[in-house]
Amino acid sequence: MDVPAETLDALSGWFLQSLSPDASVRRAAESSLAAAASAPGFPLALLRLASLPSADPQARLAAAVHFKNLLRSRWSPDADNPLPGPDRELIKSLLLPLLLDSPDRLRPLLSDSLALASAADFPARWPSLLPNLVSALSAASADADFPRANAVLSAAHSLFLKFRHSFDTPALRLDLKYCLDLFAAPLLDAFLRTSRLISSSLPSSPAALRPLFESQRLCCEIFHSLNAIELPEFFEDHMREWMTEFRAYLTAAYPPAVEADGTVDALRAAICENLQLYMEKNEEEFKDYLKDFASAVWGLLMTSSASPSRDHLTVTAIKFLTTVSTSVHHSLFGSPDVLQQICTSIVFPNIRLRDEDEELFEMNYVEYIRRDIEGSDVDTLRRIACELLKGIASNYREQVTALVSAQIQAMLASFAANPTENWKEKDAAIYLAVTLTPKQTGSGGAPAYLVDVESFFTSVIVPELQGPDPNATPMLKAGALKFFTVFRDKIPKSAALALLPSVIRFLASESNVVHSYAANCIEKLLLVKDRAPAVVPGSNAVPTAPRYTASDINPVVPQVITGLFNALQFPESQENPYIMKCMMRVLGVANLGGEVAASCVSSLASVLVEVCKNPKNPTFNHYLFEAIAAVVGRSGEQDPSLLPMFEMSLFPVLQKILVEDIAEFWPYAFQIFAQLIELSKPPISGNYMQLFQVLLSPDSWKRSASAPALVRLLQAYLQKVPNELNNEGRLLQVLDIFSRLVSVPSTEELGFFVLNTVVENLNYDMITPHIKNIWAALFTRLQNRRTVKFVNSLVIFMSLVLVKHRPDVLVDSVNAVQPNIFPVILLQFWIPNLKLISGSVEVKLTAVASTRLICESPSLLEASAAELWGKMLDGIITLLTKSDKFGAEVEDDVLDIHETVGYSVSFARLHYAGKREDDPLKEIRDPKHFLVTSLARLSAQSPGRFPAVIEKYVDPANQNTLLQLCATYNSTIV
Amino acid sequence: MADEEAALSPPLFHRRDPIKSSVHNTAAHRRRQQAIAVGKERRESLIRAKRLCRDSVIDGSESPFEGDMIIDEEKEALDSKTSQTVLELKSAIAFQGKGATQKKVEILRVLRRLLSQSEVPPIEAVLQAGAVPLLVQCLSFGSSDEQLLEAAWCLTNIAAGEPEHTKSLLPSLPMLIAHLGEKSSTPVAEQCAWAVGNVAGEGEELRNILLAQGALFPLARLMMSNKGSTSRTSAWALSNLIKSSVSSSSFFRFLVVRPDPKAANELIRVDGLLDAIVWHLKKADDELATEVAWVIVYLSALSEKATSLLVKSDVVQLLVGRLVASESLQMLIPVLRSLGNLVASDSYMIDVVLIVGHTITDELLSGLIKCLKSEHRVLKKEASWVLSNIAAGSLEHKRLIYSSEATPLLINFLSSAPFDIRKEAAFTLGNLCVAPPKNNEQPGIIVVHLVSLINSGCLPGFVNLIRSADIESARLGLQFLELVMRGLPNGEGPKLVEREDGIEAMERFQFHENEEMRNMANTLVDKYFGEEYGLE
Repeated sequence: MDVPAETLDALSGWFLQSLSPDASVRRAAESSLAAAASAPGFPLALLRLASLPSADPQARLAAAVHFKNLLRSRWSPDADNPLPGPDRELIKSLLLPLLLDSPDRLRPLLSDSLALASAADFPARWPSLLPNLVSALSAASADADFPRANAVLSAAHSLFLKFRHSFDTPALRLDLKYCLDLFAAPLLDAFLRTSRLISSSLPSSPAALRPLFESQRLCCEIFHSLNAIELPEFFEDHMREWMTEFRAYLTAAYPPAVEADGTVDALRAAICENLQLYMEKNEEEFKDYLKDFASAVWGLLMTSSASPSRDHLTVTAIKFLTTVSTSVHHSLFGSPDVLQQICTSIVFPNIRLRDEDEELFEMNYVEYIRRDIEGSDVDTLRRIACELLKGIASNYREQVTALVSAQIQAMLASFAANPTENWKEKDAAIYLAVTLTPKQTGSGGAPAYLVDVESFFTSVIVPELQGPDPNATPMLKAGALKFFTVFRDKIPKSAALALLPSVIRFLASESNVVHSYAANCIEKLLLVKDRAPAVVPGSNAVPTAPRYTASDINPVVPQVITGLFNALQFPESQENPYIMKCMMRVLGVANLGGEVAASCVSSLASVLVEVCKNPKNPTFNHYLFEAIAAVVGRSGEQDPSLLPMFEMSLFPVLQKILVEDIAEFWPYAFQIFAQLIELSKPPISGNYMQLFQVLLSPDSWKRSASAPALVRLLQAYLQKVPNELNNEGRLLQVLDIFSRLVSVPSTEELGFFVLNTVVENLNYDMITPHIKNIWAALFTRLQNRRTVKFVNSLVIFMSLVLVKHRPDVLVDSVNAVQPNIFPVILLQFWIPNLKLISGSVEVKLTAVASTRLICESPSLLEASAAELWGKMLDGIITLLTKSDKFGAEVEDDVLDIHETVGYSVSFARLHYAGKREDDPLKEIRDPKHFLVTSLARLSAQSPGRFPAVIEKYVDPANQNTLLQLCATYNSTIV
Repeated sequence: MADEEAALSPPLFHRRDPIKSSVHNTAAHRRRQQAIAVGKERRESLIRAKRLCRDSVIDGSESPFEGDMIIDEEKEALDSKTSQTVLELKSAIAFQGKGATQKKVEILRVLRRLLSQSEVPPIEAVLQAGAVPLLVQCLSFGSSDEQLLEAAWCLTNIAAGEPEHTKSLLPSLPMLIAHLGEKSSTPVAEQCAWAVGNVAGEGEELRNILLAQGALFPLARLMMSNKGSTSRTSAWALSNLIKSSVSSSSFFRFLVVRPDPKAANELIRVDGLLDAIVWHLKKADDELATEVAWVIVYLSALSEKATSLLVKSDVVQLLVGRLVASESLQMLIPVLRSLGNLVASDSYMIDVVLIVGHTITDELLSGLIKCLKSEHRVLKKEASWVLSNIAAGSLEHKRLIYSSEATPLLINFLSSAPFDIRKEAAFTLGNLCVAPPKNNEQPGIIVVHLVSLINSGCLPGFVNLIRSADIESARLGLQFLELVMRGLPNGEGPKLVEREDGIEAMERFQFHENEEMRNMANTLVDKYFGEEYGLE
């Protein structure tokens, strides 16, 4: 690898300049670097510079970082600008040797680079890598050169990690087999050699031992990866050697200074994870070792250690015991003594709050909440201890229940004896109760064990919530609020309502966790639903009704809203999503007086002005817009006179969003505008007409994330002021937008939304001049794009034209594009796609349109069209029966969520600004009834004609269905 | 429509791809057993891979007390005696005089006895003394049957040793293979087949050499022999010869190395082979039938051609017959594995052979249930695996299994069996709940089965699978949860899942490295436990 010295000098210079505090120097250097990046050999120059001992250390470091980023963006063959072949080959030949010889500071960067490159190329396109690693490992291990050996091991570790979390495929197995063949034996050699060195006690200082333990830990990590798919032959043959060493590390006690270093515990944790893996997957081969390991791990948990923080070890050790407790060997823990010991020595101590928890509670409320209620506590001690408890309870339920109940009582008694000193005891009791009580007790479920929720609530939680000082023992308050929130379903409504003022009081708590939990509690309470008494016969859906309605909370609403706005003033809670979410929920349920609503909108607008300065918390912002939409929608509908006030508060900030081009808020702003337009009465104000111009400008549509919101806004205009489209060629502009949208697969559906809105809201004479062009655009598109989605949208649109106007309008306008094209469209697209239509409104629309087509359109009633007529009827019956089947609707939802998620990358639909689903056929309730009566009427006009057609062209099963339908609706087809 | 779904989550900040594979894409498919073995071959077949020949292949020609004379000799004494014998053999070969042939045979017999008398034969000593070239010489054409037999026997037991011992036989392979042919007497051919079988059992490299030297065809012919022990030995040797693993490590350049079906394809093309398989399965004793079943295992695992011929032959009926009639673990394992391979790899089995209502289907099911009830872990596992593949069949198959005795047994496995059995049981139970896909429509859920499995307490078992370190099991668990949440009437699914701590289990994948799992879990949590906006 020869890179001219001057190139290296130049590079080095640029890197140093790129660190300059002077922005212009920095920018110049950055652009020089960017320009150089496309030259062949650039990555090698970087690598060379990074490994050049004589170069400036800062430049070396920067070069290594740059190199790594380069690989990240350009190594994959699928990258935009993949590295050229020769460069790749050179990098592959040089990277490992340079990595092994590099100084400690650079090694992690080069190691990451190796991992990046190998992810794509190893092993098939990099056959030298593993053999080189093996020889480097053997050499380093023989020389006891641990820094080097560990560099090799960590490189190997990154290569093998994929075996842990990839699916078991033949290709993966081939890779694994290759890795095992080459690496399994050298790994064991290195592991045993290092073990001998450790036990020889030659290196005795913690500093000297550290790299040795680190080396062993890396070996254990690799052990895990190589064993993840299944137990390899080599490891089965050498199980005793591995297990003997594992056990030694778990049971040996090293001098306090060594233990205090923590590396031994890291090794032990890795060992516990391996034991856990074997216990789970290879329990048969492992069972001879199980007893020894269970007692070794047990012993580890019982002994205190000089290690400052052995949390990770404790977690992995408890996990191993949990696996044992649920395995076929659970009887190892079955005796009363052992159960008692597990509870009192392992579980209960780890449930108690620790100093770290308290610190987190005060210093980082977001993280604390994430762990405490958002399910990110999978690896916390508290949680893991509870898992062990559940594990042993799965086989020894009664014994465990008795032990835990006694423990909870003891903890509560201890608290009662001295509340100030022993508040943590009560906290632990609440934690146990929350974690171990099943959240739901439905039909046939396990009975609630441990505690009776209601009585625990009354005797333990309520006193806490009603305590005189809302700022006292905040962690205990948080625990009580959490209990209330978790078991909200089970707390009777009257009790909950009575406690609401107490909860509102906590919105003023200085603790971020406590006021967040109070907001969360109120928010979740408003979501509780009860089964509604009336059940619709034949329906699978269970009707539910909210338990708390506007009248329940209206009395406290002013306090809640004030409390929430005040809470937003607390340090670090300015953008607290729990508070804003609660705001949104309350505003969505309560009925506000006009004055409250107006001031609420104005306060929310000021919050919005603040976040516009630097939008950084998307969750908070989303709820903020939802809150605005909720109050505008609900209050605006009840009292339209409020609108001018809303507009006054909101216009400035919404305009600011458009003018200052705050892109992430555009979709929200358009939705709020749409909502305001829908609420206003024509003639609408000039401000909106100005906005209309923005809407019609093609530039606004370039941002795909805004498109759905713009469609929504356009719909609002078309419904409110359809005749405005007659002016200044606006309709043409709209149609232009339509053809733009429909020509791109990702927005074609939106194009149809625009078109549907036009057809729904405009008189036909306005559309007439354009309809031919519309069809031409759609059919051209159809020639290249016959996806189900597109054709379905087309069928829906045609159906809409038909029901809004008349069957012959549809048929004639289509045939005007090309004579007699309509029957072809019918046969090739309409009929085959009919049964693929989903969504209740759409099914009804297309079924009714199809029915009208075969009953009213002269062209289909001609004798020559009998086959077409029959197949159409067949399609209608299939469509209508399919939608009955259980699951059909649910399946549709799955489809919908895919599409929605697809464009919601950046578009967030506001629920409270949402449009009601408009049914264009409100007058027809039951499309089946419509079908049968229409057919009966038609056949009565020419008796004997249609039964023959039906018999010939309709599927026998569907004929049968039709007969049943006739019977149901008491009609006959003669 | 989409409106309400979109409102389920405030997006903008976490993009989640849709569930790429929901349950029907994978669970309902039949699964082959992994053809690429990383782990040890199952114990039962490992024992079989190489065998020491302790007794003569010629029935009754050896007196049983013969071995006594050196039974307690120390290893050292044994070794030195062995070396001595090899030296004697060397000079006997050099000696051309009268009685030379007889002398050679006598020495060979002594050597062979030394190599067969204990479980730890003095192979090292034999090799060090340079016996292999001498033994090859003794195999030369025109030698007496007795000499050939003794020499081949010696080689057989050398090959039964450590890998390097087996490899030392390399120079002898052409002669051993040559004596497999039709011109040899049956005992000689059989003994050579044994030696070749041991060599093939060593591994890929030697297998390839044997195949290149043409061992396959004569062995196949030999398997058609009327003599039980001969066809048994050659069936065993054949199964060793065709079981392919991958030839990866030594020539690892381009990663297109796959399990190689070549030998299996070649074998099935041998005239009369299929007839011989059918004949043996029909008539033979358990021991021979077992070896033949192992040949079927490898044929069906490796060769599509073989599979399509086997499923259309009487083999299936005969295997089912053996499954029902036999109580022998040794026999049931390859029979089960063969049936499983056939069901997994050729839809003809489900569509044409195992029609619900046919006697064969009921027999198979009762045989499988017998294995589920057995004490043997391997039988339980293999039978569950076969069932999981049948359960991926038609609605009728699902109903048949569901209403059989198998279901409660499987449910029990799911909660208390060791991991590997639990996983197979879960696949079967999952498949019982998914309707087979029709045309292009998405397959639905068999609600009756799902509800009754849930009522029998299956859900915790599946939730536990999600927590498993085994990614495939975790995926299966997720897929089942999806069924439950989507399919249980009255929207009970999500509640039950929550009660069994399913949310917590799914959230483990929130940031998982496996993208598919991460997306599946996150989408499910979002969809069923996302924010409820709808308050109307």
